[in-house]
Amino acid sequence: MSLQNTIIKLQEFWSQNGCYIASGYDTEVGAGTMTPDTFFKVLGKKHWEVAFWQPSRRPDDGRYAKNPNRVQKHNQFQVILKPAPDNGQSLFLKSLNHLGIDIRSHDIKFDEDNWASPSIGAWGVGWQVMCDGLEITQFTYFQQAGGIELNPNSLEITYGLERLAMFLDKRNNIYNLKWGHNVSYSELRTEEEKQFSIYNFEVANIDFLRNIFDQYKNEAERLIESNLYLPAYDYVLKCSHTFNILDARKAISTAERTTLIKTMRDLSYNIAKKYINGAEKKNG
Amino acid sequence: MVDFLFELGVEEVPASEIKNIVFQLKDNFQTKLAETLVKFKSIEISATNRRFVIYISEISEKADDKEEQILGPSKKISIDENGQPTIALKKFMEFNNVILSDIVEIETKKGLYLCIHKVTEGPKAYDILCNIIPEILGKLTFSKTMLWNESRVSFIRPIRNILCLLNNQLIELEFAGIKSSKFINGHTTLSESLIEISSFKDYIEQLNKNFVIVKEKERDEKIINEITEVEYDLDVDVKIDDEMLNYYIYNNEYPVVFTGNFNKKYLELPSEIISTFMIKEKKLLPVYDKNNNLLNTFVGVSNIPDENHFVSNGNEKVIQATFEDAKFFWDNDLKDNFINLRENLKKVKFQNDLGTFFDKTERLNYLIELLVKETNNNHMYENIKQASCLCKNDLVTRMVREFPSLQGIMGGLYLKEMDSEEDLWKSVYGHYEPKGYTDKKLDHIGAGILSIADKIDNIAGFVSKGIKVSSSKDPYGIRRDANAIIKVIIDFKMNFDLFKLIKLAAEKFTENAGDQKKLVSQLQKLFLSRIENIFRDLLNFRYDVVNSIINSHDILFAYKSFLKAKDVSKIVETDSINLLITLHKRLKNIIKGFNTFFISENLLMGDEEKILFEIYKESKTEITELILSDNYIQACSKIIEMKPVIDNYFEKVLIMAEDNKIKENRIALLQKLYELLSKITDFSLIIESN
Repeated sequence: MSLQNTIIKLQEFWSQNGCYIASGYDTEVGAGTMTPDTFFKVLGKKHWEVAFWQPSRRPDDGRYAKNPNRVQKHNQFQVILKPAPDNGQSLFLKSLNHLGIDIRSHDIKFDEDNWASPSIGAWGVGWQVMCDGLEITQFTYFQQAGGIELNPNSLEITYGLERLAMFLDKRNNIYNLKWGHNVSYSELRTEEEKQFSIYNFEVANIDFLRNIFDQYKNEAERLIESNLYLPAYDYVLKCSHTFNILDARKAISTAERTTLIKTMRDLSYNIAKKYINGAEKKNG
Repeated sequence: MVDFLFELGVEEVPASEIKNIVFQLKDNFQTKLAETLVKFKSIEISATNRRFVIYISEISEKADDKEEQILGPSKKISIDENGQPTIALKKFMEFNNVILSDIVEIETKKGLYLCIHKVTEGPKAYDILCNIIPEILGKLTFSKTMLWNESRVSFIRPIRNILCLLNNQLIELEFAGIKSSKFINGHTTLSESLIEISSFKDYIEQLNKNFVIVKEKERDEKIINEITEVEYDLDVDVKIDDEMLNYYIYNNEYPVVFTGNFNKKYLELPSEIISTFMIKEKKLLPVYDKNNNLLNTFVGVSNIPDENHFVSNGNEKVIQATFEDAKFFWDNDLKDNFINLRENLKKVKFQNDLGTFFDKTERLNYLIELLVKETNNNHMYENIKQASCLCKNDLVTRMVREFPSLQGIMGGLYLKEMDSEEDLWKSVYGHYEPKGYTDKKLDHIGAGILSIADKIDNIAGFVSKGIKVSSSKDPYGIRRDANAIIKVIIDFKMNFDLFKLIKLAAEKFTENAGDQKKLVSQLQKLFLSRIENIFRDLLNFRYDVVNSIINSHDILFAYKSFLKAKDVSKIVETDSINLLITLHKRLKNIIKGFNTFFISENLLMGDEEKILFEIYKESKTEITELILSDNYIQACSKIIEMKPVIDNYFEKVLIMAEDNKIKENRIALLQKLYELLSKITDFSLIIESN
C-alpha cells in the first residue's frame, strides 16, 4: 500500500468512528501533539474527536537520506479522542485491520513508553505499539498540557506513517516507498533530506538562530499580554523548532538546554491559562 | 468452603512494575483476611502485563464468630444492699442489650467486676470480600500513576475488567468505575470477544484456549527451554540477564522464542554497541559463539506463534535500521577529537549544585593520587591520572546522549580507537562499574581505582548537600555506590584505610574545619553500616562475628576487615572459641574502671607473674606480626598457647594486691594482654557455642 493510501485509509477509518478530519498544522512542529488541535483542545471539558495527517520535523533525526528509516521530516497521523473511550485499544487494533494488517499473525505489543514534552508542559502515560519489532504508533493517555492537569483525559494515537507504509508495502527502506500513483518517496524526499541534514547539522547559523529564538520569545510574551494566545502559541512553536535546529547543531549545553526549555514551558503555561480563562468565559 | 477467583484486567502494565504489585496484593490480601477472621487454605497470585489473578482456595463462607468480653461496672456499685441491680448495672445491660442472666463476675486487679461475654456472628465472606477488594486495590502504590476515566482513580494503567467469583457466584463490586462481572478478556490479538468464566478450573482452561499462559513459572520455563533449544541447535550461547528475562515473562501472555539474522557488516562495530542497541532499543538478545564472539544472529520473544516467520523477518529489518543509527552515532563521534571534549564538560552540570562535570574530573584527578599510592600502583599513575581527566568526556558524545547506559564504555572505546594505552582506556571503560556489591568483578585495577574515586566523590557530594539515605529511599544511589566501593576494595585486595579517602573527598565539599569534621563523621558512619550490612547479609558472616569486628578500630581497612571476618568465622567453628571468649570477658571485667597503667618489671613479684610477662613480650611481637599479615587464625593459636600460663597466673596471683603499686602493675599486665587480644577482635561480643 502506498503512503497516500495509508493516509486515506486512516482518514476513512477514523471518520467512520466519529472523528472530524482536520488538516495538519502549517507551522513546523516536532509532533502532532504540539499542534493547536491537540495542545488547546485537550484542555477543558469540551468533547473533541479529531484525526489529521501532520508532517513533523525532527532536525536531529536527519541522516543525509542514508538511513533506511530515519528522516528529519516524517509524517504522523494524529488522532485525539476526548474523553478517552473505554475501548480505545480495540478501536486502534481495528484500525490496523482496516489498513489490512492481519493482527493475528503479527507480534503486536504495547511496550511501556511514557512521553513528555517539557517545552509545552505536556506529558502522558502509555505505550509505543510495536509490530514485529517496528514501532508503528504511540498510544498515550494524556495527563497534562501546558502544566494543567487534564480532566477529562484524552487518548492520543499517533501513527508513524512511513513506518506503517513500509510495513504494509514490505519495504526495507523508506526511500523505496511509493507515495501514490507514480510518485515515489525517494523522488519527493531524497534531496530535501540531504539538504536539510546538511543545514541542520553543519550550516545552520547559530548566532542567527539564537537571535530569532529570543525574538520569537519576546513576541510570544507580548502577545500573551494582549490576550492573543493563539498567535502567541505559534511563536512558541517557532521557538521550539529553532531550539531543535540549535540542538542538532550541537550548539546547546546541558545547562542552557534547561533554561531554554523552561522559557518555552513558562510561555506554554501562560498560554494554556489564557486559553482556559477564555474558554470558561465563552461557556459562561 | 468455597473458592475465590479474582482477575483485574488492565491495559499493558510495564513489566518492571509487576512483581512489586503482586507482592503488595499478596501481602494486603493476607493481612485483610487475617484481620477480618476469614479462614482459607491457600492464596495464589499470578500476573501478566494484562491481568492480576488472585485465587484463594477453600475460603470459609463466613468469618469466625468474634467472642469478646465486655467489662461492666464493679460489683460493688452494681448490686445494692438488697441484692438488686443498681442504675449503673441496668444501664450497662441496656446498652449491651443483655439480660441479668448474661452477666458474670470477673476478678480483676481492681477487685470484683461484672462483665458479659459477647459473641458476634462473623459476617459472610461475600460481604467481606466486597468491602476489602476495593480497599486493597485503592491502597496499591506504584512508581508512577495515571488517570484515564471519570472515576478519577489513579492507577498504574487503565483498568478494563474485573472478574470476581466466589465459586460460580458473582461478587458484585465496583472499582475505578468498573463493575465486576463474570467475563474476562483473552490475548490482545489472538482472542476477540469477552469470555465467560464459571469456575477456577474453567478460567485456566479458557485462558489456555485463548493463548494466555497465566502462570509466570510456566512462561519462564517455556522461554528458557526454547532459548536452550536455540543454543543447542545453533551451537551458540545466548546471553540473557534477569531484567530481560523478567521483561519477556511479563510482557508476553503467550511467549514464543524466535531467531533472526542481520548483515555481517554490522559486526565491525564494537560488540558493546551492537549488544546495547539490540537489548535496549529492540529488546532482542545478542548471540555468541562458544568462544564468546558476537554473531550476526539474535533471539527475541514474540507474543504469538511465528509460523509464517513474519515476526522474525520483521525484526530482521528493524534491527538493521537500528544498527544504521548506531553506525551513524559512532562515525560522527569519531570525527570529534575525544581528548578535546573535556572543555565541553565545563558547560555540563553535575547534580545538585555540585559544579560541572569538568569540576568533577578535577576532583577525581586529586583523589586518584592517594588511591594509586595506597594501592601500590605507581607504575600506572600517568595513565590513571589521564583517565581521571578524560573519563567524563563521553557524556557529550552523541552515542551516550542517546544511550546513557553506555557511559564510560564509550569513553573507553573512543580512546581505544585512538590507540591509547590499555591502562588508560580500560580505566575509563569500566569506571562506572560495579553498580553495587553483587555485580561482577572489574577486570582492570585502573578502572577499580577510578571507580572508587568517582563513587566516593558522588557520595561525599550528595551527603554534603544534606541528602539522606533511609531504609526505603536512596534516590542518589549513595548506598549502592558505597557498596560498590567496598566490593572493589575486596576484589582487588586493596589494603588501605577508607578513612583517609573519606577525609580527602570531604575536603572538596566543605569550607571550614567544622563542616569537614561533620561530613567525615557522617561518611564514616555510612561506610561502617555498609560494611556491617555486606558482611552480615551478603557474605553471610554470623551476626555476632560481624558485631565483634565492627568494633575493631581498623574496621575501615575494609579488605583487612573482610579477611578478619573470614578467619574469625572459621575460629568460631572450633573448640577454642569459648576459651577466647571467656578470656576476653574475664580480662575486660577485671580491668574495667581502671586508668591505663605502665608495667615496671621490677614490680613483678612471683614466678607466675614473671613468666606471663616474658611470654607476653615474646608473643606480642609474633602476634602483632600475624595480625599485620592478616593471619588471624594463627594469631588466635598463639593466644591459646599462652592460655595455661594465664590460667596459672589467675589461679596463683591475687590481682587486687594490698600494695597499690603492685596492684596497678598487675592490672597493667592484664591491660596489655587485653589490648593484644582485642587487636584480633572483640571476642566478648561473640556468642559462646554449646
